[in-house]
Amino acid sequence: MEHYLLLFISAALVSNVVLMRFLGLCSFMGVTTRVDTALGMGAATTFCITISAMIDWGVEKVLLEPYELGYLRTVAFILVIAAAVQFTEAVVRKVSPTMFQMLGIYLPLITTNCAVLGVNLLLVEGKMNFIESTVFAFASSLGYSLVMVLFAGLRERLALCAVPRLFAGPPIGFITASLLALAFMGFSGMSTN
Amino acid sequence: MSDAGSSFPDADGQTLLEGFARVVAVEGGRAWLEPEETTSCGTCHSAGLCSIGKDAGNAKRMAAKRFQLPGDLGLKVGERVVVGISETALVKGAATAYGLPLIALLAGGILGQEFYATDGMAALGAFGGLVVGLGLARLLADGLSARGVLTPRFLRRDYHLPPDAACTSDHG
Repeated sequence: MEHYLLLFISAALVSNVVLMRFLGLCSFMGVTTRVDTALGMGAATTFCITISAMIDWGVEKVLLEPYELGYLRTVAFILVIAAAVQFTEAVVRKVSPTMFQMLGIYLPLITTNCAVLGVNLLLVEGKMNFIESTVFAFASSLGYSLVMVLFAGLRERLALCAVPRLFAGPPIGFITASLLALAFMGFSGMSTN
Repeated sequence: MSDAGSSFPDADGQTLLEGFARVVAVEGGRAWLEPEETTSCGTCHSAGLCSIGKDAGNAKRMAAKRFQLPGDLGLKVGERVVVGISETALVKGAATAYGLPLIALLAGGILGQEFYATDGMAALGAFGGLVVGLGLARLLADGLSARGVLTPRFLRRDYHLPPDAACTSDHG
């Protein structure tokens, strides 16, 4: 169990998918103007990354690795991610149509989020077993959500500040993101991947 | 629910997330609304005029998002209104729809791995956990809906579009 805990901390904080691996930067800047949109996007992405990682692990072990089809990995993984997003959409609609109104808006954006594909490719690189892959994907996406919500909270506060005209908008956002990345560097050394 | 890009506290002190919706039908005095879908960038106040938003949804998809407002509010078909939902409802919704199935999935997978130490059993455990988690999420969502936690509230009619209603998204 300790092994999974270390893997979790490593993936979520030490090697954070956004601030350390620089994946998912488009949504990081684009969907973090408000905490509620960041939370909705983060939750939907966490679900999709975990589900797609499970399926991609199977695709890798059953198809790509035995038949030496590694050159099809990116295409196959993108297909799985698109299917996982559709599955998630169907599930949320079935679980609660009202929730689908609130949370469904974020789902189509996930298909083009490079963090989803990035995490799945990292799993192959890490040569993990099934449960390690699932925990790693879950933790990575939780780290992504954490950073999204933190950054959205900071940007909501920044929106109320008197920022110099030259720095207003994305420039102050990038400066804040770099400071957040520095803060996350404090986790380095806690656990290795 | 489309994002009107604002949030205000209501009479109970809860912060409400606001969104635009259009009345598509009135049955027995109760209005059916269709949310205006936009991209979730949250930077734009011109939800009804965003061309990206209009492309993002099709008729079938929008019909699936229709919802009914409680009570006779005297709304007419075609009216544009502002509806609100509490921030805590979004958190509860996300935790129920995504959090619960994922926790159950991980628990099932770890149990499968710990007891049988094979990838096949871990995958089977994870799948079983996911199914159980989705079932629980459905039960919980039904409970939340029955208590009206997830029901959007009517806030006001939206008579005017902003004069500078152009997309002002400032991110790449």
